[in-house]
Amino acid sequence: MKEVLAYPANYWQTMYEIWLFISVIIYLVVFIPAAYFLVKYRYKKGINEKAQHAKESKALEVLWTIIPTIVVIYLATQSFAFYRVQRNAPEGAMEIKVTAFMWGWEFEYPNGKKVFSFFNGVVDPEKNVYLTPEKVNDMFKAYIPAGTPIKVLLTSRDVIHSFYVHPAKVTEDAVPGRITHMWFQVNKEGEYWVFCREYCGTQHSKMAAVLKVVPKEEFEKWLNQGVQTQNITDRQNL
Amino acid sequence: MAAVSYKPYFSAGLKEWIFTTDHKKIGIMYGVTSLIFFLVAGLSALAIRLELYQPGLQYMSEDAYNKALTIHGVLMQFWWAVAIWGSFGNYLLPLMIGARDVAFPRLNALSYWFFFAASVLALITLLPGNHIRMLWTGYPPFSLNDNAGPVAFYALIIHMLGASSLASAINLVVTNLTMRAPGVTLKKMNLFLHSFLAMNVIQILGVPALAGAVTMLLMDKYFQTAFFDPTRGGDPLLYQNLFWFYSHPVVYVMILPAFGLISEMIAVFSRREIFGRTSMIIAIWGIAILGFMVWIHHLFTSGVPDWIRILFSYTTVLIGVPTGIKIFNWVFTLYKGSVRFTTPMLYTLSSIFMFLIGGLTGIPLGLPAFDIGVHDSHFVVAHFHYVLGMALTLAVFGGFHYWYPKFTGRMYNELWAKIALVLVMIGSNLFYFLQFIVGLEGMPRRYADYPAIESWIRLHELQTIGSMILGFGVILAIANLVFSTKIGKKAEDNPWQSPSLEWLIPSPPPPHNFDKIPHMPEDWDPYHYEWLEKQHKKH
Ligand code: HEM
Ligand SMILES: [Cu+2]
Ligand SMILES: [Cu+2]
Repeated sequence: MKEVLAYPANYWQTMYEIWLFISVIIYLVVFIPAAYFLVKYRYKKGINEKAQHAKESKALEVLWTIIPTIVVIYLATQSFAFYRVQRNAPEGAMEIKVTAFMWGWEFEYPNGKKVFSFFNGVVDPEKNVYLTPEKVNDMFKAYIPAGTPIKVLLTSRDVIHSFYVHPAKVTEDAVPGRITHMWFQVNKEGEYWVFCREYCGTQHSKMAAVLKVVPKEEFEKWLNQGVQTQNITDRQNL
Repeated sequence: MAAVSYKPYFSAGLKEWIFTTDHKKIGIMYGVTSLIFFLVAGLSALAIRLELYQPGLQYMSEDAYNKALTIHGVLMQFWWAVAIWGSFGNYLLPLMIGARDVAFPRLNALSYWFFFAASVLALITLLPGNHIRMLWTGYPPFSLNDNAGPVAFYALIIHMLGASSLASAINLVVTNLTMRAPGVTLKKMNLFLHSFLAMNVIQILGVPALAGAVTMLLMDKYFQTAFFDPTRGGDPLLYQNLFWFYSHPVVYVMILPAFGLISEMIAVFSRREIFGRTSMIIAIWGIAILGFMVWIHHLFTSGVPDWIRILFSYTTVLIGVPTGIKIFNWVFTLYKGSVRFTTPMLYTLSSIFMFLIGGLTGIPLGLPAFDIGVHDSHFVVAHFHYVLGMALTLAVFGGFHYWYPKFTGRMYNELWAKIALVLVMIGSNLFYFLQFIVGLEGMPRRYADYPAIESWIRLHELQTIGSMILGFGVILAIANLVFSTKIGKKAEDNPWQSPSLEWLIPSPPPPHNFDKIPHMPEDWDPYHYEWLEKQHKKH
């Protein structure tokens, strides 16, 4: 399990592969006989001008009712098993609170430290294009310790947004008046995108944030640097 | 059958068209309106694709993008995928059951004019200052925010459409159940009629939920109620539940009639009865009923309790079973047939195989373990483009070609029709398949702009090229249909040799359809092609 970039993306990946495998088989099971019939029973002058009588087959009808039923119930049950893990944060996960707003994210860490990420923080102000994650100013980045499960408690200050952690393949809506939850863990250091996945108006497509995944010690150091004072001025940019 | 010759139904003055209660003229009016809006929605989609060609905003602002996407979504769903069935249903249903008109012809005209009023309202929202930017879903609290634009328009549009659909649905159900000519028994109804019956029943049960939802939205916005406003004790998820209680079943309102068209065409061009006809009918109703029990899959990431997500994941994937039954039976309809590869047949086969992709990619969206990674990503958009943009649209165009001689009395140009289909298939698959990939890689939907991730840029470039090929193919197909009304070869009355009732009268039909109400003999059946041959021999 060492190489896994992020949890619970591994479950998503496995679910995806199971589904893809089954789907390709189903596609072929339909396509091959269809192609065969199309060629074999095509209209030919003098040879196949009229359809022959084909008897209805109860057995076939039952067959293609029962087998797909089994397949889909298997898929749903497999998904159920995975989903329990994908939904429920492991014990000892670090809890952060994320509050979405039009248009940006507020991250609050257990010790009260806050990071604000604004849509205009992730774009080049002159050209209005996305910066690469590395070019985004560090003060807008949410630091995350590598290899540590993070439980996110989500809510929103205005409209519905959705917190999508790109490497972890998981999204959950931030709904005003409710607290929703999700978890993820990134194992490899680096800078990763968070995107808003629920339409929220003009800057929806720029409502991103950068997760800066760093070694645990570095994270501790950063966390205890105290509340950054820039936040006040940033808020005025809103 | 007709001994006296009449002027075709469509040779009428403008005044007659406007005041008409003739189901055929109303059907044509639905069709033309629908097609015009399809073109508008298609053009706004091409504008969207152009913008997504490269990261950054080259051609439009974010607001312009959101506006174009709202137009695209609303028009494609309501004016194309739903309203186009107003055309086929009105025109063909009375002919297929041997009736001279629908049960309530005036109500039918009213339905169309409600639809027309909604169309005018929709056009008004295109004017500056009236733009709606809340997308076709209109989720509160965003839709209560000024950023969303004038919600009142949206609510009014939905009410107009709803009134139109309800009236039309009741009308067609009553017509189907009470006005069948002697001999057209329930048992002998073709699958087109069964699909339209189920579709109209869904409309009658579902529309009120959506109407309620948008009314509450309207009141929240303008009359200080607080159904959905969480700052005053409301719940935004209530809207989502009401909205999807209708708007999930509505996808079956869109696709069931397409299944009906596919069944008609595949049977006629295989020259044999639909395989497993009884299980096909059971499957239609199975889909219609299950369709009302799956709406939560649109809320899998919205904060509803986990056990509800799991429950609805089972109901959702179970819909795959009746859907699969339909596909297998279509395939076996080819078995021992005498398959003719006419244009409508090629459209039908394309539609089935594209639907298969659309359906198979719908299943994982019903699995929360997979959905949490692709919810509101381009994967979802690709899924419903395979279903609506391809399976449905191909079936509709197949239907246009199949009944073209019936509608117009002429034939389309065979060669251009096939070229158009090839272009559409190449363009669509290039576009929509890569939309899956970019979605799997995480690209969120409804994004005017995206970060310059190398693979995303490549994928978007190719998608845009695909969409342009597709657009070109569609224009070609439509141009062929339009010009052929003037220069097409005169068609025979029954060019496909079908015993279905609409083909046993002249093409185009006389204004009153049937000289006398037909009495269909015991040995007649809409799928018994030998019956027709026997009739020919008798004469
Ligand atoms: C020329 C053909 C088409 C093109 C180029 C096209 C393109 C697109 C694109 C790029 C999006 C996603 C944009 C985004 O999420 O940012 C989209 C969304 C959508 N399309 Fe299409 N599309 C086409 C045909 C259709 C058809 C035929 C239908 C339905 C019958 C359809 C229904 C929709 C719907 C419902 C949405 C979702 C809108 C929303 O997110 O609110 N499209 N289309
Ligand atoms: Cu947002
Ligand atoms: Cu958003």
